[in-house]
Amino acid sequence: MLKLFKIEWLKINTYRTFWLLFGTFVVFFPLTVFFSASKYMEQTAHGRGGGPNPEDIAKALIGAPFVFPKIWQTSAWFGGHFFVIIGMLFVMLITNEVQYRTHRQNIIDGWSRLDFLRAKASLMFFFVIAATLLVFITGIITGLAFSSPGADLFEDVHYVAYFALMAFHYLLIGFFIAILVKRTGLAVIVYFISVYVIDGLLWLLLTIRGNQMGYFLPFESVDALIPSPFTPEMMKLRTVADYSLLISTAVYVSLFTYLIVNRFKNADLKT
Amino acid sequence: MSVLSVQQISKNYGAVKALSNVSFEVPQGSVYGILGPNGSGKTTLLGIVMDVLKASGGQFLWNGQPGDADQRKRIGTLLETPNFYSYLSAEKNLEIAARIKERGLDDIDRVLQVVNLHQRRSSKFNTYSLGMKQRLAIASALLGDPDILVFDEPTNGLDPAGIAEIRELIIELNRQGKTIIMASHILDEVERVCTHVTIIQKGVLKTSGTVQEVLSASGETDVLIEIAADNITGLETIIRQFPGVKDVKMTGQGLSVLCTENVSSGQLNKYCFEKGVVLTQLNMKKKNLETRFLEITGKQSDR
Repeated sequence: MLKLFKIEWLKINTYRTFWLLFGTFVVFFPLTVFFSASKYMEQTAHGRGGGPNPEDIAKALIGAPFVFPKIWQTSAWFGGHFFVIIGMLFVMLITNEVQYRTHRQNIIDGWSRLDFLRAKASLMFFFVIAATLLVFITGIITGLAFSSPGADLFEDVHYVAYFALMAFHYLLIGFFIAILVKRTGLAVIVYFISVYVIDGLLWLLLTIRGNQMGYFLPFESVDALIPSPFTPEMMKLRTVADYSLLISTAVYVSLFTYLIVNRFKNADLKT
Repeated sequence: MSVLSVQQISKNYGAVKALSNVSFEVPQGSVYGILGPNGSGKTTLLGIVMDVLKASGGQFLWNGQPGDADQRKRIGTLLETPNFYSYLSAEKNLEIAARIKERGLDDIDRVLQVVNLHQRRSSKFNTYSLGMKQRLAIASALLGDPDILVFDEPTNGLDPAGIAEIRELIIELNRQGKTIIMASHILDEVERVCTHVTIIQKGVLKTSGTVQEVLSASGETDVLIEIAADNITGLETIIRQFPGVKDVKMTGQGLSVLCTENVSSGQLNKYCFEKGVVLTQLNMKKKNLETRFLEITGKQSDR
């Protein structure tokens, strides 16, 4: 796997789009969390005196999203939103190979079809590990900066693990779309529509009147594991437990993995 | 044992049969030409034996073994168009190929020198001309000095000097004992370079064997006469009426006339003169692969 990753790294380490999109994620995600935190803490720091004011009410409803332990959930939630950039990058890295027929060349030069998929999987792990580390670092720095001393640092740190799963799942679906659609522009559009439109619309349909089916949609299964830290407790609709979402995600992961391997192993590699 | 054994390979795209039951054996040490018009299935066939396309039926063996990734690592291949990462230099592109093939990186300099790209090794692939891209693809195929080389239209996009160089290179590689499988639609190329040939038309194998066998297999001893006159169209009309003429083809300089063996150049000249046409050129040629090819595949350009 490491050998395959080295080759993937050779392919991308001088590719401008890679650095641009990866850099956007690495720079803007932590900055957004940190500046949101400092703004929020500033706003809610002092009551204006003389009865409750809007900021206090907000604080009472939402809790403290930027201090331990909730910062883990917040960091993971922001990370998830920014991670769609990496998803798009990953889709492009695969469809580029198809469009320039370099995937054919890799096979001709002596990779098996599975080697090609494994190489891309190694890239997936790289993105997941890098992004998860960043979510962790962002969480701990923001938390340390704004929490009062003595807070329990690692309570609720499992949200970082949920993020890793979510990132992996987002890339896997991108992988599937890229293998299926092949054209870079179209694949990116299909990816965004899947992320933002299809899942969202179906979710609305399936959660009418508190129905819980919507939480078992491909993206929503992992999305729901990291709910928005700004949604007040009493407005939460989800009653299904985390573990059932984890199971449903695992089912999707197996399904998409199977579809990707099956499709790529037997396909004619053309543009 | 054959280097490559193709057994009953078929490939269908929906209702279209791109290849039907193609079988042949590539002997060790040969330069094996796969000859056919555009769209006859040559590239499809090479795609299948390199595992980028899946056959609908049949099988192939490399050195007696079913094809797999490890065997491909030891085969140098140029398939269809050069496929490289456009934003990477020639050197980096070859590094990727060498790492996939699990060969040392020290061979990169050598292959770049063989194809005269060493000076441009740091230039990005997308700055290369068509001919340079083609030469880089050949360099990539030479990485690790493989014993088997597969070239699909190797002289595509090259200038005349480049074409001559690559043909020389192929002959030289063969002299070193390497087996070369080469698809081409250029008859002249196959005739000059190949020891063996297989002719494919519309996905059907028409004939195969050594170039000599294929040339003499018709059992007929037709002759080819090249003639020219000032009035070419008039000449064509009258020559078609001459007994013994089987086929007339317009060439750049004049007409290429395929006749039965009893036709002599003297008779032909006399006949034309009597019809009032003075020949400006008259050349008796021994039959070549081109005439044989046309006999086998027919004359229609929808071949």
